Amino acid sequence: MASENKRRWGFVIEVKRCIDCKACMVACQVENQVPLGKHRNWIGRIGPTGTFPILGLKFEPGNCMHCDNPPCERVCPTGATYQRDDGLVLVDYDKCIGCRYCMQACPYDARYVDHEHGYVDKCTFCVHRLDAGQPPACVETCVGGSRHFGDLNDPNSEVSKLLATRDHYVVYAEAGTEPKIFYIS
Amino acid sequence: MEQIEWNLLVVNYLFLAGLSAGAFAISSFATYIGGPHFRRVARIGALIAPFPVAIGVGILVLDLGRPFAFYYLFLTVQFTSPMSIGSWLLTGFIVLSLAYAALWLPAPFDNLLRVPNRAHLKDFSQWTPLAPNTIRRWRAILAAIGFPLALGIGIYTGILLGAIPSRPFWNTPMVAQLFLFSAMSSGTATVLLVTALLGARHAHGYEEERRLLVSTDVVLIVLEIFMLVPFLLHHALSTWSSASSIELILGGEYTWWFWIGVILLGIVLPLIIEAYELFPVILKEGAARYSLALSAISAVFVLIGGFILRFVFVYAGQASHFLPLVTR
Ligand code: SF4
Ligand code: SF4
Repeated sequence: MASENKRRWGFVIEVKRCIDCKACMVACQVENQVPLGKHRNWIGRIGPTGTFPILGLKFEPGNCMHCDNPPCERVCPTGATYQRDDGLVLVDYDKCIGCRYCMQACPYDARYVDHEHGYVDKCTFCVHRLDAGQPPACVETCVGGSRHFGDLNDPNSEVSKLLATRDHYVVYAEAGTEPKIFYIS
Repeated sequence: MEQIEWNLLVVNYLFLAGLSAGAFAISSFATYIGGPHFRRVARIGALIAPFPVAIGVGILVLDLGRPFAFYYLFLTVQFTSPMSIGSWLLTGFIVLSLAYAALWLPAPFDNLLRVPNRAHLKDFSQWTPLAPNTIRRWRAILAAIGFPLALGIGIYTGILLGAIPSRPFWNTPMVAQLFLFSAMSSGTATVLLVTALLGARHAHGYEEERRLLVSTDVVLIVLEIFMLVPFLLHHALSTWSSASSIELILGGEYTWWFWIGVILLGIVLPLIIEAYELFPVILKEGAARYSLALSAISAVFVLIGGFILRFVFVYAGQASHFLPLVTR
């Protein structure tokens, strides 16, 4: 499979299962030593919707979507932001000059400035764990079973199966970024 | 974004780069329409051009998260990144405009323009001064090469913002033209201001010089209006995200800055003053009412308006967002 099939990492997130416990945010902070006050993932809030007394509130967890067509990479003046063969969008910290142009370009506001080092940083899909054969920290820790992760190119992966059988959407499809986080509502 | 990432430093930089481009363009224009009447405009524009942009670039480098890594900009050309193309363009422009400014040095500094003399390589005073003919030829050559570069800088300051789809407020083709015309207008206004401060004393052909500057500025301001109206209409008639984004200047946070700063100070008032100066000529009822005080005032208004225009765009753009906004 993986050796012949090029890998394409992606998330499938079940919105209904998220209970807003923020365990994924804490796991990420610890795993990636994210500076205090910054975060690489978030819990978005949709709603409240409906009319009283029948109200709804949904939680939409997110992080960098490792877009197939990443605007952050397009605008980066030094080539610091680049895309790997397996679709991961990463920052080469040596080349990053901290101009923050990529932060203007990302429609999901997925990036932040690491003020200690001066460069811009964001979710890496835990590339160090992936390369060691482990899933991202947020996926492993997800309490509600909302976050699923895997190889979108492998038809037998959990994510591919979910996408084949369930209705799903992406955020800001009109932005043309082709994000690789898919949501099941 | 949770906070404004590009702040007043970036506003300054965009404004100063545009001002330099405009000063160069009006100088180059004056060089080409030629004649002794426009000498002073050409010289002042040329002498101003390299400096604001150089200061602006300095400010911008300091604003980087890693200022000492700035040289990575120049180890590559990223064709899809306006900032990469712009960095190269700015470098070329600054070098060229410095050389151009040197060629316009007034006496007695013009005798610094010399070519090395092989026999007395170490003794500068023995070097051969450039012949007036040669100086004139090089002025013309650099003015011609620099003109498109200057337009490029003006456009680039707008494209930098306009090429970002995720900020709906910026994402229209009008921003590039608007910034271009505003850049040309701020440059012209600076020359207008400096000539007004120097007074009529040194000017040959005072009338012609005033007419060139004042009427050029009127044309540029009108062109700005031609961009602002479609800008507002485009947004108002576009997608939800786009239409909501101009609420930032139609009742939202930047409304007063836009209508008082950009429209009233930067466009309406200078236009009224300059039209007042030119009116008798337009009606063919006599001589124009050029006044150095009025020129200076209208120029200052144009400059303030140009600065606030950059401020409103840089800030409102960053506050604009695709909708629906998922709150975090
Ligand atoms: S989510 Fe933002 S930072 Fe991540 S790849 Fe897409 S545009 Fe770039
Ligand atoms: S902040 Fe760094 S990664 Fe982002 S565009 Fe600038 S150089 Fe590229």
